[in-house]
Order: sequence, then structure tokens, then C-alpha cells
Amino acid sequence: MPEPYDHLDTLRQTLRAWLAANAPADWRETCTSHDGFLALQRKWFTTLIEGGWAIPHWPAQGPHGAWPGGGRGLAEQKVIYEELARADTPRLILTFVSTYHAACTLFEWATPEQQAKYLPGILAGEIWCQGFSEPGAGSDLASLRTRAELRGDHYVVNGQKLWSTMGQFADKCLLLVRTSSEGAKQAGLTYLLLDMKAKGVTARPIHQIHGDEEFAELFLDDVHVPVADRLGAEGQGWAVAQSTLSSERGLTLLELSARMRGSLWRLVELVGGDEPGVLRDLGRLATRIDAAQALADQFLAKRIAGEEAVGDASLVKLMYARTLREFTSMGLRLGGIGQQYHEPIVFGGGMETGNWMADFMNSYAWTIAGGSDEVQRNIIAERMLEMPREPKSWVGA
Amino acid sequence: MSEIRTELADAARKALSHGQAGDGLARDEAAALPGEMGWLMAHVPEDRGGLGLGHEGLAAIAKELGRALVPGPVVAQVGVIAALSHADAFDGRDALLEAAMGGEVMTTSLAVAPTGAMVTCVPDADRASHVLVLRPDRVALVARDAPGVTVIERPTWDRTRRLFDVVVPHDAPAKVLAEGTAAQALDATARSTMLFALAADALGGAEAALAMTVDYLKTRRQFDRPLAMFQALKHRVADLQCAIAAADALLWQRAGDADATLLAMGALKAHACGVYRMVTEEMIQLHGGIGLTAEYACHLFLKRALLNAALLGDGDHWDQLSGRALLEGTRA
Repeated sequence: MPEPYDHLDTLRQTLRAWLAANAPADWRETCTSHDGFLALQRKWFTTLIEGGWAIPHWPAQGPHGAWPGGGRGLAEQKVIYEELARADTPRLILTFVSTYHAACTLFEWATPEQQAKYLPGILAGEIWCQGFSEPGAGSDLASLRTRAELRGDHYVVNGQKLWSTMGQFADKCLLLVRTSSEGAKQAGLTYLLLDMKAKGVTARPIHQIHGDEEFAELFLDDVHVPVADRLGAEGQGWAVAQSTLSSERGLTLLELSARMRGSLWRLVELVGGDEPGVLRDLGRLATRIDAAQALADQFLAKRIAGEEAVGDASLVKLMYARTLREFTSMGLRLGGIGQQYHEPIVFGGGMETGNWMADFMNSYAWTIAGGSDEVQRNIIAERMLEMPREPKSWVGA
Repeated sequence: MSEIRTELADAARKALSHGQAGDGLARDEAAALPGEMGWLMAHVPEDRGGLGLGHEGLAAIAKELGRALVPGPVVAQVGVIAALSHADAFDGRDALLEAAMGGEVMTTSLAVAPTGAMVTCVPDADRASHVLVLRPDRVALVARDAPGVTVIERPTWDRTRRLFDVVVPHDAPAKVLAEGTAAQALDATARSTMLFALAADALGGAEAALAMTVDYLKTRRQFDRPLAMFQALKHRVADLQCAIAAADALLWQRAGDADATLLAMGALKAHACGVYRMVTEEMIQLHGGIGLTAEYACHLFLKRALLNAALLGDGDHWDQLSGRALLEGTRA
């Protein structure tokens, strides 16, 4: 619902003042190790919860009273993210899946008992990860093969999951498994809530090309999950997973676009002279970033007004991802040979830390994860522009 | 505001639906429409006799003119109208403004910067009553039939536009709209308006070009299937759609930004025209052989896109200024 302007403006000023007093300064300096990163993320999450800014997208009321800072509309959430970006605060990477993916899925699908069991833990800083992708199921997620067999009051789960963000630090996992091989591949999926401390769960961090370890692979070996920890009915997993995948509502890309624009100074300070070619490319990139941000902004405005069209979200993601690649590539170019000497990365430092070789490689996260550029292009072409799909079956060697 | 935007665009699209400049709509008929329909007064403040719809209104109309490849001097004329409506009052100002909003052709240069006595890139100067000579230190309106004023047609590849060089002697009688710092501000106002209109024209054209291309790919069959089924082509089209959507979002954002500077409008124009050019280049390629024939409209879009890109400062010009402003910390 659209908020009156003066109300949003008041919110903006209030948060701006709060951030001036509470935002951590020079926080990247403390994030040179995983421990430093974890400590900063936990502290900042707690500070935001106490300030009432961490979960604006939650309902106002929980079963046992008000959620702190919940019940805010999308227009208010937008203001909050714009201000968090403007103040260059750490993004809540560690608790992002728990407060968005887990919580939003629980609000929509969990029984009152399940909500009472899990939501307070999220508020207290419990870390959740997502167990969806697999080695053989990336863009074609529904073809996943991790099996869950019902035995009495629990499922026995066997399989392997990949690209589980923060999985190595997680307490709980949103787990999508196959309970049936009959019929359409989507119809055989079931959604479970997994305790990462359960017997048979192994989480191994994935070493990324830029030196970070933001993802884990999960090995599940005869893991027991109580039936009481199933979300939705057996076979309903695909529908539940859609809630998880749409939980962040376009806010992330708005925030990231704003952060990219706010980081332009990092490129500017690398420009030595006034070589026209460099100035042109820098100017062109700056306008392109403006366009990416305008698109993310317009998308959220459409959502607030209930006018979102099929494919709009894909346009925003594709534009952001391509622009981020150009942005980091420009840093690499301006940084010259200096960027080829290895510098340790800042853990959780954001998409543009000024360590351009690392930032450039990290930008692939956005062109591949969360539906690759190629998947987004298919969505735009087939659903938005209504170009015909390719024939489904392929009989290959 | 967006409701008015939609209504304006719908009305314009309906009025222009007789056909495109390239395939039937008579040049003079189409060129006369903006005046007759009141489109030229859309962006003029109400206290100056306009509709007060600002840049949003202008964008809605200019996009439709671009979409339908409408001929005529609208981009230049909205610049003249902006200058007249923002100039301090002078004897005869209101009558001139009213005539210009009503469709009497008044034009100006769409060159990047003035050069000597020759005013270049002036649309439809042969049928204009007045030429606005924009210089950063002096903005003046010269009657087309003033002594010594000569127009020379410069045929362009873009058949939907007509450009002229105009010789304006220094001593030609003129109504001076502004001088000194006031002239600098008025020059910037007129240029901002024209740059914005060119950007909107480009994005209307880009949308039309992409829609035609997608339609063609859906219709044309090779290898026993529509071309639109090939992923290699889908992905190219999707990239174009993405580029148009982002540029369009920027257009509407700048339309609503009362503080948008000349540089912001120049950067917008450079970006939008870059997108238009990319879309029309792909349009030809994706149409294959038929895209090379003059009876198909692809070439009209390509030529209009390339002319738009060159008018009022090209991409290199504005991008370099943007880059410099970033370096100097003066970019918004």
C-alpha cells in the first residue's frame, strides 16, 4: 500500500539519525578473517534487531506479541534499504536466508506449532541455509534427486546439496527433497526443515575463485528428519519452494543497485589523468548504473502498486548482473597491474570492495546464481515477449 | 500523473495509427499533427498557456512520435517553445508562444554547439517562420524572412527528417530573449528539453523496432520452425528488451526530476540513443535479407536512430562530460 510522502520522509530521517549513531565505522577492517566476519555480522544483526530495523518485512504481530520493527509496507522497506545502503553498512549476509527465505516461507506454510518452534530462534540470530541446488540440478532445479523416504514418524534423507549460502555456519536448513519419482518432476518434491546438527549431516565450505567461502556443499547420509518438520504436504514442495524463492521481493536488487551507485567513487579515485577514452567509459558506466537503479526502483514501485508484469523481475536481475560485471571490470582495467598482485579479501565486504580482481570474479555470483543470465533471458523471451519454447524432448546419446 | 501519461500516449498512438512515415502517412499531414493535437503545448506551464504536463507529458508524446517515425521539427520546436515560455516577458512574446504551440513552425539548431554565422542541423527551416539562435551568451529569435537569412537543405540518410544549414548574418534583426548569464540558463533549458525529447523519441522508436523484430521472428520459418524458437536469437532479443526497459525507467525518472541538469539530460540522451542504435542494428541483422530491402521499414528505424545519436552531442560527447563531472565531483 502506498505510504504518504511525509510519513516516509519522517521514517528516512529517523533511520538516518539512528544510523549516524549506530552504524559500525571502518567495519571492513575487522573482516579479514571468518571469525571477524562472523562477529561483525552477529553484532550488527543484534544492533539492528534492537533498533527495530532488521525485520521490517515481518508481520507486526507474532503469536506472543509484537515482532520488533515488523509490519512495515514495501514502500517503508524500500526506504530502509536505501538508507542502509547510503550509510554503507554491512549487508546482513549471515542472517539473510533466515530472516527472508526461512521466515517468509514459515509465515506462509508453517503450522502455528512450527512457527512457535522456529521464528523466535531466527530473531535470536539463528542461521539458516537453503538446500535446494544439487550437482545435477542447477538451472533445472526440479530435477533434483536427494531422496527422502518416509519411515514411521520421520523421513530418512540421502543426497547432496550445493551452493548453500553460509551453509557451513548454519543451524537449520530449508531442504527440498524428492519423495516420489512418479508423474511430473515437480510433483514428487517435498519441503523439510533440517536441523544441521542432526546425525549424518556434513557441511563443507566451497572455495570460490576470489578466495571467499560464502557457500557450502551439504552431504546427507541417512539423516533423520521428523515428519513434524515437514512444511506443507508431501508432494507440495515445489509450491512451498516458490515462496522461498520470491521472499525478498525485489528489495535486494534495489539495495545492491544503490550500493553500486554509492561505490562509484572507488572507480573515480583510480582515474589518473583525463584521458578522454577513460572519462567516456566512466561516464557511460555511471549513466548505465543510473539506469539499472531506475529500473530496480520502478520495479518496486510497480510491485507496491500491484502492477508487476511477468518477466519484470528478470529484467531487473539481468540488468544489475551485467552492470555489476562492467563496474568491476572497469575497476580491474583502471587498477592495472596493481590489481594482479594478490591482496587478501574482505569477508562479507559487499560486491564492490575495491579489491577489483576479487570483485570482478565475485560478480559472477550475480550472473550465475539465483537463475543465471541465460535463464532470465529465456523467461524474458518466452514469458514476456511470448516467443515459442523449444521442443521439450531431446533424445541424445 | 501516470494516468494522464497513458491517456496522452493512447491518443497520440490512435492519431498516428494511419501508418508510418515510410508507408503512407503523408509527410505534411503527419508533420502538422502535433500542432493540431495540442501536443506542442503539453510541457508548457499552465500560466504560459500550456497544459502543464511537464516532461512526463513531453515524454509520452515524443515516444509516440518516435514509435511512428513521425517527420517534422518537433524536437527543435519544443526547444523553441521551452525557451519562449521560460524567457522574461518581451513585446510579442505571448503571441509568438501561442503561435509556436499551435503548430506554426519555429525551429532551432540540433547541432552540439553553435559555429559562426552558419547555424547547422536545423530541422524544417524552409517552412519555418522563425529560427531560434541558441548561444550561451545570447538567445535570439530571428525571422526566417529577415534580410540576409538563407537556408540550404542538407539531405540526410534519415528520410523521416529534413535538416538545413541556415546562414544568419550577425546584423540580422532579432528578438533577443536573453543575454549574459540569463542566456546561459535559457540555452540550457532549451537544450535540456530537446535532449529529453530526443531520448523519448529514441525509446519509442526502439520499442517499435523491437516489437517488429519479435513479430518477424515469430512469423518467419526456417528449418521447419519459427525463428523465434531458436535460443540464440531469443537471448539477443531478451538483452534488447532489458536495455530498453532500463533506459525507459531512466527516462521516466529524469522526467519526474525537477532538478535534472543539462548534463543529466545529455547523459540520458546518450544512453537512450545508444540503446536505439543497438536495437536497430540488431533489427536489420535479425530480419536477414529482407532487412536490407528498402520496402521494409527496418532501414528507416536504423537511419533515424543513427541521426538521433549524432544530434545535440553524441555519446562520446556526453559520456566524456559525465566522466569529467564525476572526477570533479560535480555530477549529481
